[in-house]
Amino acid sequence: MAERYSSFAPGGTSWLLQRVTAAFLIVVLAFHFFLLHFVNHAADITFAGSAARMAEWGYYATMILFLVTATFHGVNGVYNALINQGLDGTTKTVVKWGLIVAGLLLIAQGIRLANVLAGGA
Amino acid sequence: MSRATAQYDRGAIEDFGRWREFTAGMWAWVFHKFTGWVLIGYLFTHIAVLSTAMSGPGAFTSTIQGLEGQAIVRVLEVGLLAVAVFHILNGVRLLLVDLGLGLEHQDRAFYASLILTAVIAVASVPVFVEGAF
Amino acid sequence: MSSDASEPADAAAAEAAAAEETSPEPAEEEAAADEGPAVPEPQQRRLAEKRARSGADAVLDDAERAAPAVEDDQTVHLRVYRYDPEVEDKQEPRYDDFHVPAKDGLSVLDALIWARDHYDSTLTFRHSCRQAVCGSDAFFINGRQRLGCQTQVGDLEEPIRIEPLPHSSVEKDLVVDMEHFYDQMDAVEPYFQSSEDPPGELEERKQSPENREKVKLSTRCIWCSACMSSCNIAAGDNQYLGPAAINMAYRFAMDERESDDATEHRFTTIEQEHGVWRCQTQFSCTEVCPKDIPLTEHIQELKREAVKKNLKFW
Repeated sequence: MAERYSSFAPGGTSWLLQRVTAAFLIVVLAFHFFLLHFVNHAADITFAGSAARMAEWGYYATMILFLVTATFHGVNGVYNALINQGLDGTTKTVVKWGLIVAGLLLIAQGIRLANVLAGGA
Repeated sequence: MSRATAQYDRGAIEDFGRWREFTAGMWAWVFHKFTGWVLIGYLFTHIAVLSTAMSGPGAFTSTIQGLEGQAIVRVLEVGLLAVAVFHILNGVRLLLVDLGLGLEHQDRAFYASLILTAVIAVASVPVFVEGAF
Repeated sequence: MSSDASEPADAAAAEAAAAEETSPEPAEEEAAADEGPAVPEPQQRRLAEKRARSGADAVLDDAERAAPAVEDDQTVHLRVYRYDPEVEDKQEPRYDDFHVPAKDGLSVLDALIWARDHYDSTLTFRHSCRQAVCGSDAFFINGRQRLGCQTQVGDLEEPIRIEPLPHSSVEKDLVVDMEHFYDQMDAVEPYFQSSEDPPGELEERKQSPENREKVKLSTRCIWCSACMSSCNIAAGDNQYLGPAAINMAYRFAMDERESDDATEHRFTTIEQEHGVWRCQTQFSCTEVCPKDIPLTEHIQELKREAVKKNLKFW
C-alpha cells in the first residue's frame, strides 16, 4: 500500500482519476464526434482542414488533453478489467508496465502528430 | 481455494451459458467492458491512421477519403458511434451510482441508456452514410 | 413398549404398535437398548417417543402411497445436483430427479428434506434454523442464489434446479467449501475494536439512535455467502474481499463507538487493491442478499469516504 507507481497510483487515486477523466471525456468525446461527423462530414476531412483547426491554440490544447485523458482512462480501464479477471503475480507486473509503456508511446505519437498538423505551433 | 479435499471444478457455471438469467446490472457490466475494449482498440488504430499526416498532406487526405469512400467503413462508423454512445450513457449512470444518486433505479437507468443509444445510433445513420451508397 | 410413550396420543401409540410390526428396525433397536449398557431412563423414554412419532409418519406415507396414483400437479419436480468424490457412481456430477408431494407453503428446504428422508438419505446439504437467520442453506435455485428455507416452491418454475453456490468448490452434493469466504470475512476483523476506554466514569459506550439506524441494515448479515457467489469480480479475482466482508467492515467503520485509530485501520484494510476498488457496481450482491442489505450502496459509501480521507491527507 505504501508503494507509489509512476502512473498508477494505488487504489483510491486511480479510482478517482478514472471518474474525473470520465466526466471530462463525456463532454469532449461528444464534442469531437459532433464536430467531425455532423458539423464537418467525415468524408470531407482534409489535411488542410485539420491543420486549420489545430492551428488554433485552444483547440490544440483541448485535443492534447483529450488524448492524455482518453489514454489514461482506457489503459487504466483495461488494467482493472484484467485484474477483475484474476490477473496476478508476475504476469500482472509485466502487463502493467506494458500498458504504461504503450500508453506513453501513444501520447507521444499523438503529440507529434498534433504538432505536425498544427504546423509546428 | 484453501482445502485440498477432492473438489470439483464446475467451470463457468454462471457465465454466458446462462445469459437469459442475467440481471440488468450484470448486462451493464458486460456491455461496458465490451464497449471499453472496442474503444481503446479504436483509439490506438485511430492515432495510427491519423499518423499518415506525418507523410505529408497528400497521404493524410487520400487515406482518410479513401477510407470514407468505402461503404463498409461508414457502417462500422455507425457501430463505433453506438459503442461510444453506450459507453458514455452507461458511464453517466455509473457516475451517478458512484455519487450515491438513484441507486434504487439503477436497473431502469441501464434500460434507458440502451434505448437512448439505439435512438441516437439510428438517428445518426443518415448523416453517417451520406454519399457512400 | 408403547407404555413408555407418554406423550403421543393413543391413536399414535396404536399406529406405533402397528409400525413396529411392519418396520423391524425400531424393535431391534429397542431390544438392544434394553439389553445393552445402562441407558438412562429419560433417554429411553425419549427414544421411544421418537420412534413412535416416526412410526406414525411411516404409516401415513404408506397410506399416501397406497392412495390412487398421485397426479403430477400434486408433486413438485426437483432436479438436484449430485456429486460425491468418494462414491464411484457420483464422481462425475449428475442431476437426480425427485418428485416431492406438494403442499401449501412448501419451501425448497422442506422439499429437499422430504426427498432426503424418503428417497435418498445420502442427499447432503447444510441447513439449520430453517428461518433465514443461520445462513446455512444458501443454494443456487433456478439460476439464482437463494436460501432454501426462504424460497417457496410455489413461486418457482418446474423442474426446480437446485445446485450448489457458484464460484465455490463443491465438497459433496450441495455442500460448498466455505473456507475462502470465511478467510475474506476474517481479513476485515469483523469485531468491535477500540483503543479508548468509554468516556469519563461511564462503563458503557453510547451510540446515538441515528448512528444505529445508519449501521442497522449492515448488521443483518448472516454469512450465507450468496452475495460473494453472485459477484463476477469475486469469481474472477480470488483476492477480492467480497461484498459481505466489505459490508462487515462498513458495519464497524461507520459505528461511532470505535476509536478513530480503529476506523483508520479498517479503512487501510479495505482500501487495498483488492478491497472496495474492485467493486464494479454490478448490483448482483444487492439483488440476491436474503436479508435485503443494500450491499452496493454500502460499498459505494466506503469508496467515497476513502477518497475523501485521501484527499484530506494531501
